Amino acid sequence: MSERSVTFTSDRIAAYAEASGDRNPIHLDEDFARSVGLPGVIAHGLLQMGILAVVAGEAAGGAGRLRRLSCRFAGMVVPGDTVTFTADPPLEGRIELKAMNQRGEAVLTKAMAECDR
Amino acid sequence: MSATGEVGAGSVGAAGKDYPPVTFAIEAAGVAAFANAIGADPATGVPPTFAAVYSLGATAPQLFGDAEAAIDFGKLLHAEQEFAWERQAQVGESVTSRGRVTTDVSRRGIRMVTFETQTVDSRAKPLCRSRALFVIRA
Repeated sequence: MSERSVTFTSDRIAAYAEASGDRNPIHLDEDFARSVGLPGVIAHGLLQMGILAVVAGEAAGGAGRLRRLSCRFAGMVVPGDTVTFTADPPLEGRIELKAMNQRGEAVLTKAMAECDR
Repeated sequence: MSATGEVGAGSVGAAGKDYPPVTFAIEAAGVAAFANAIGADPATGVPPTFAAVYSLGATAPQLFGDAEAAIDFGKLLHAEQEFAWERQAQVGESVTSRGRVTTDVSRRGIRMVTFETQTVDSRAKPLCRSRALFVIRA
């Protein structure tokens, strides 16, 4: 099984905002995030999915072997959260994926990948 | 539906709207910054989810900026995402993406918009497909 645990920080989220071009203030500005009913800044779903893809690529035997990746952004990830991303070995080209926070809650659901067989 | 994304008067929601193609040059510096941000090794090439930049990221601003589509960006949540690749992109190539709203439904004040993007390479061969589900809260 491929696995990676990542503790999210506001710096990491800001680095993803810069690198991806997604500078929505809910990821960068505490006051703005609270003003729209969030607990504070939250991590991009696509940052979580990016880390998930790294783990899925390891399971696939190389990121270049990934053919499909999908997930539902089911729970918010905030600075200080530690998320463990796991990928099972491929079975007939399908890879089951999980992303659980430190409380054992799934932050990504319906997460799966397909890869070259 | 025309290539310019016009919809006829009286259309309900944004379903069927499409947007003009957007070309994106995949450059080493941008790929390295992205790889570092997600914890990938920049030496292993373009991370698959760099499609969040060259495919979804290249086209979603057209949807968000479309007054007719009337997406309330402040209430927008990214609910689901799927990427499918014919092959992984390479540094140095230019890719072209077209975005399209495939479904737009509202239920009990919550609006769900599916936005699909098709990305082709410089020889017009399919490279990547993105499907994003956005939820706009009431």
